[in-house]
Amino acid sequence: MNKPNKPFEKKTNGLKRERASSDALFFGKRSFSGPFSGRELAGYAVDRLLLAVILGSVCLFVLYPLLCIAFRSFNGKDGTFTLANYGETWAQYGTSLWNSIFVGVLSAFFCTIFSVSAALVVSTRRGWMKLLCMGILLVTMVSPPFVASLAYIQLYGRRGWITHGLLGLSWNPYNKWGVILMQSVSFVPMNALFLNGILAKIDGDSIKAARDLGASPASILRDIVLPQMKPGILVCLLLSFIRSLADYGTPVIIGGRFSTIASDIYYQLTGYANLEKASVLNMFLLLPSIGAFFLYRRLLRQSDALVQSSRGKQEQLQLRLGKCGLLGGLIGLASGLFFVMMILQYACIFSTGFIKVSKTGNRFTLQYLRQLLKTDLNTMGRSVLYALIVSLVGTLFAMIFSYYMERRKVPLRQGFDCLVTLPYMLPGTCFGIGYILAFNHPPLKLTGTALIVLANMLFKQLPTCTKICSATLKQVPLAQERAVHDLGGGQMAVLRDVILPGLRPAFLSCFSYNFSSSMTTAGAILFLIDPARKLAVFKLFDAVYTGDYAVASLIATLIILIVLAVEALVYWITGKAAKPRVS
Amino acid sequence: MSKRVLSALLAAAMLLSMAACNKEEKAPETENQTPAENTTTEKPAESEGKEEKPEISGTMKAIATSENYVTLFDKFTAETGVKVELLSMSSGDVLSKLRAEGGTPSADLWFGGGIDAFMSAKEDDLLEPVTFEAASEIDPQFRDPDGCWYSKGLTIVGFLLNDKLMEELNLEQPATWEDLTDPSYQGEIIMSNPAISGTNYAAVNSLLQAKGEEAGWEFFNALNENIAYYAKRGSDPKNKVIADEFAIGITYLDDTITALKEDYDVTIVYPEDGIPWIPDGVACFKNAENVEAAKYFIEWLFSNDENLQLLAEIDQKTSIKLIKPSLEGVELDYSPDILMELDLSKFGSMRESILAQFETLMGDKAVNE
Repeated sequence: MNKPNKPFEKKTNGLKRERASSDALFFGKRSFSGPFSGRELAGYAVDRLLLAVILGSVCLFVLYPLLCIAFRSFNGKDGTFTLANYGETWAQYGTSLWNSIFVGVLSAFFCTIFSVSAALVVSTRRGWMKLLCMGILLVTMVSPPFVASLAYIQLYGRRGWITHGLLGLSWNPYNKWGVILMQSVSFVPMNALFLNGILAKIDGDSIKAARDLGASPASILRDIVLPQMKPGILVCLLLSFIRSLADYGTPVIIGGRFSTIASDIYYQLTGYANLEKASVLNMFLLLPSIGAFFLYRRLLRQSDALVQSSRGKQEQLQLRLGKCGLLGGLIGLASGLFFVMMILQYACIFSTGFIKVSKTGNRFTLQYLRQLLKTDLNTMGRSVLYALIVSLVGTLFAMIFSYYMERRKVPLRQGFDCLVTLPYMLPGTCFGIGYILAFNHPPLKLTGTALIVLANMLFKQLPTCTKICSATLKQVPLAQERAVHDLGGGQMAVLRDVILPGLRPAFLSCFSYNFSSSMTTAGAILFLIDPARKLAVFKLFDAVYTGDYAVASLIATLIILIVLAVEALVYWITGKAAKPRVS
Repeated sequence: MSKRVLSALLAAAMLLSMAACNKEEKAPETENQTPAENTTTEKPAESEGKEEKPEISGTMKAIATSENYVTLFDKFTAETGVKVELLSMSSGDVLSKLRAEGGTPSADLWFGGGIDAFMSAKEDDLLEPVTFEAASEIDPQFRDPDGCWYSKGLTIVGFLLNDKLMEELNLEQPATWEDLTDPSYQGEIIMSNPAISGTNYAAVNSLLQAKGEEAGWEFFNALNENIAYYAKRGSDPKNKVIADEFAIGITYLDDTITALKEDYDVTIVYPEDGIPWIPDGVACFKNAENVEAAKYFIEWLFSNDENLQLLAEIDQKTSIKLIKPSLEGVELDYSPDILMELDLSKFGSMRESILAQFETLMGDKAVNE
């Protein structure tokens, strides 16, 4: 949309520079009292159109389906308006809300500790250790549904290889602690990679200055590094908390008798097909989620000033964790625990596909691999295609969205920012049901099309991407933007020359996240998928459902490999594209 | 080739003549299209003269419980020219999806799943009635009186034991349902949540019918003490038992379970005090895009023994013989006497109240945890 404008802006930049800056300022600050040319008007129109498209699609694909769910929660037996659903559901599942919050808070807390530790280790280590840890994070960021929980049972179950086989314990993992542990580790890779990006931008000069002034490594960590990570830590806490609230897979598989709102929603949908109660439960779930969101915004604003002042060149974090005293030791311990657990878990997933269980003992086999290769791999191709589309469009969408939210005084900014986060707060199945409710009648009949699946993935994953982009944008100095304005550049020039390049690290994270999520998402599109357009993850779903764990593990392995390959390719391409810019 | 064309024409002629006595589903103008239709699909007409084939074409979208049925649908495609797209989904999810779609289903055929879900769907007016001649050969209790659903087999329920754990924990092999309430099994039995698993719903409903309400609930209260937890997926009891996680699983029994004996030390128990069962449904969705193909598929399936034999082979069960007693080539591999006596109509009508009561029963233990 803004493409036709690009050459023109480049050409005129030089011209504008010579003009009185007042004109540019008018345009830059968007007060249109003064005279301005047709070209500037065009830039303004594009800017406005872009904003309208972004906000319009958020309304259509987020607000409208959610309103459909909300509406359904008031639906009485014969289609009348009623509040009875709420009373009934609260009486039945009120305690689950507290369970959800309890698990959410603890999971977010532990997950953040693991994430910060892992990120610090990756940032401060050098050589093979850094590569190894980074590699583990990249691999484990791809988390195909269900197989992680199955591996958890294999490793730490009542007869788990570790708990029973190695340690000789007979414990029961099917309870809330199992859920908390599982969630705490499974959300880490994404968070740690994100924090690692933040750490890479920490001002090396202030660390050097502190060291010159005789600060110990421990106090550098405590007084400089950790405070600078604060916005990132807040994002981790928020995302993990909300993700835990919305996660239904873990409590369903390993929760035993313990249930959360998310697992109750699954239960209401799958067991009773009671859309009304499921909708009410969704409304319940939104309470803590939205509460957490506004708390997060408050805290983030407080820490904004700190980060904006700190910007230096990217460099290796000069810190030896081993010399950081007790805190350093704890960080080492937490990250060590995390990395070992991840290695075990993924080794378990990879190996299950090649192990044939028999009475005489387990042995290596390629039988399942052959079985998998015999079935059609078209679904895998379609999955990759869909994931690529969602990753590209979604990432660009998130970048532009976060720019408007962070840097421009868009009316109802807070509201939109919250709105876009909502899909993240609901279990995927519900967002899927919302889409069916919203788009099953003309003129908006989208059910059974590819578009509904793509849109659902995109908007389900958008919240994480906008959070990443916003946090990264905070590290892009406002001064650069002002400089463009002063030099006569318009908003499009700012977007093109400051915002998008500044968001390059975010692009990589967003793309990776989008791609791996699209490849592994199950819940959100379970209800949307058309029999004629199946995705690979459904094969996985089917295999898990029938108890064919070997095949499920193989599909998971294949998905992981594909995601890694695509990510490596994208990293390579963007790396090449970015090089001229650096010089 | 010429023989084929001839028979096709013959079928077309027959269609034309029968169109008159057909129900209103066949609009008059479609008669004119029949010859063209026949040349494009060129299907061999069935040998029996009674066969009448509505014009069907395009793609039929089927939701099934498993992708294994693909060979059956391939046969259908080969004989009718209708392509079939298959998606596997649990029956509870199908019902949720149907309700959300509000009368615009995105699939045509529903193949497999506990009959309780089909009964609920019929109550919500989401199923299209199908009638055909061979339906009269189906035992009336295994088809809906209005033809909204048919049964394609029975799922029977029993126990799967993990021999290693039974020995290690020094447990006696349970022979009856009543045995399961013995305190020695505490925490070692796993079953699925009856709201999610049609199989385990069948167990609850059947046992309540057999024992009577009061004694029945007493039994489940006692059983609840021994159940580790109620799994939220139907295949979990089986999976957990073979993974050595639990000693006893209450699960469906079929030849796939029997086949587990090859690789695992497991024992299958057919409870002596009666085996609960539940019919497996098949139906077509009301207002579906290709409803004609789905309707014809049901007729096709039940009218030809060859198709039912193939189905029995895929399902790895012989219970289809009970559904259509005149079926040849499939012999029941257990005596029908071991099945509990049931009033199937209560499966639908009692569902809500049974599950509500079951939930309070399960909840009591969750609080104590």
